[in-house]
Amino acid sequence: MLLEVRDLHIGYGDAPAVWGASLDVDAGEIVSVIGPNGAGKTTLINAIAGLLRVRQGELRFDGADMRHVKAHEFCAHGIALVPEGRRLFVKMSVEENLELGCYLPAARAARAESLERVYGLFPILRQKRLQPAGELSGGQQQMVAIGRALMARPRIVLFDEPSLGLAPAIVDDMFDIIVRVRDSGAAVLLVEQNVLKALGVADRAYVLEQGRIMAHGVPDELMTQPHIREAYLGV
Amino acid sequence: MPSATLLGQALISGVLAGGMYGLLAMGLSLSWGLLRLVNLSHFALAFLSAYIVYELGTKYGVAPWWSAAMVVPLMFAVGASQYWLFDRFRVNELASLLITFSFAVIVEAGIQIYWTADYRRFETHYATESIKAGPFFIPVLDLTMCIVASVLAWGTWMWLRKTYVGKGLRAAAEDADIAAAYGVDHRKLAYILSGIGAAYAGIAGTFIALIATLAPAQIWAWLGVVFAVVIIGRLGNPMGALLAGMLIGASESLAMAVLSPAWAPVVSFSVLIVILLWDPEWL
Repeated sequence: MLLEVRDLHIGYGDAPAVWGASLDVDAGEIVSVIGPNGAGKTTLINAIAGLLRVRQGELRFDGADMRHVKAHEFCAHGIALVPEGRRLFVKMSVEENLELGCYLPAARAARAESLERVYGLFPILRQKRLQPAGELSGGQQQMVAIGRALMARPRIVLFDEPSLGLAPAIVDDMFDIIVRVRDSGAAVLLVEQNVLKALGVADRAYVLEQGRIMAHGVPDELMTQPHIREAYLGV
Repeated sequence: MPSATLLGQALISGVLAGGMYGLLAMGLSLSWGLLRLVNLSHFALAFLSAYIVYELGTKYGVAPWWSAAMVVPLMFAVGASQYWLFDRFRVNELASLLITFSFAVIVEAGIQIYWTADYRRFETHYATESIKAGPFFIPVLDLTMCIVASVLAWGTWMWLRKTYVGKGLRAAAEDADIAAAYGVDHRKLAYILSGIGAAYAGIAGTFIALIATLAPAQIWAWLGVVFAVVIIGRLGNPMGALLAGMLIGASESLAMAVLSPAWAPVVSFSVLIVILLWDPEWL
């Protein structure tokens, strides 16, 4: 198992807490975590990315215990985050944002190749490479955020609400990209409020409510459960 | 109205003197812009360096560049240690202003105890040398200082733009968490940057020793104008700091020539207000 989360407790400040969440992501999988606003999805994914301290429970990546690993060392293990709201370095150019993705020496060595790959995936970014990232449209900024993650040559990409605030036409493209990220060899953990889309691309999914995992399984099976049909699919 | 020659000379002297504003502003601007720490003790460190250069030069006959070779690494160490304190006590932007103010007061007192409040002047033959260019005189020391300041500003600017360390610092200044998620160890870089900022105070101090008359209270003399320069030049931008320094230096000098010396601060702060209100695209 690539990512193993066991009985994870996280709580900080005003953010929603997580109480004993467990989930797994294996290599080559897309795993979605769905749930309402304030359920703790972002808290959970930020802890897996190393941005938040874990209070209790287990967090293992490729067998390594990650609980006491420093935030800036998570990336070296192969974990890359596409954060909620994109959080680009808006004053820096598009290409500098991408280069930040390959900040660590191992990824830096493959800079040219990774850049070609990202520009191949998002040709518009090559045209805009010298513009400040803050001047791009929402969809283009999301491309930069995904590109930045890919530059790190990650083994898992954590997507936090990638469709949030994007035009509907672009949302479909974004989910296509997530599938292509997986096909290129990285596992994907996806946190989404767009339940239909998130279940559509997932191999497996978890339902997080009030900081607890309430259900998990393959999407087809989850979609037959009455509670989930009622709460998330509106049928 | 003064003659064209006088105005030209005022402009040259002003731009060159403005190099000192730029040199002092650079370190301040880096730490404010990239670490969110407003280091008021920057001025105290510059004057402490100036006094050390003066002491070594007058008592032991050490040439200023040799003194600089000692003072600059010393200041780097002081700057890095200051960052240790900021980091250890999780000092924020406002608190940094108060703490470094206190630090500056302590350094000022230390200088006064050791060197007394008397005016000190490090007399060297460099101070009076100048190059004659047409009708104008260019003081060699001021010119050297401006060249050093320009090289530092350009070098630092390139370092911030072209190296991964520089990009990491700029990224961390925008969003430290996300920079960390991509492997940027902000604390390690902050030690280096804090040291570099203070080292620039050491370089500025060397020139202060050669150009200015030293007194402990002089620490505060340039505070206002250098703050204006930092803001006009944009936080964290060493080239901006240098150019803003020269702009303010030139406008002060022209105001002194055309009106009277009392007008100098009025002009520099008017330039600040105009630029802040105008907020031009190119800044």
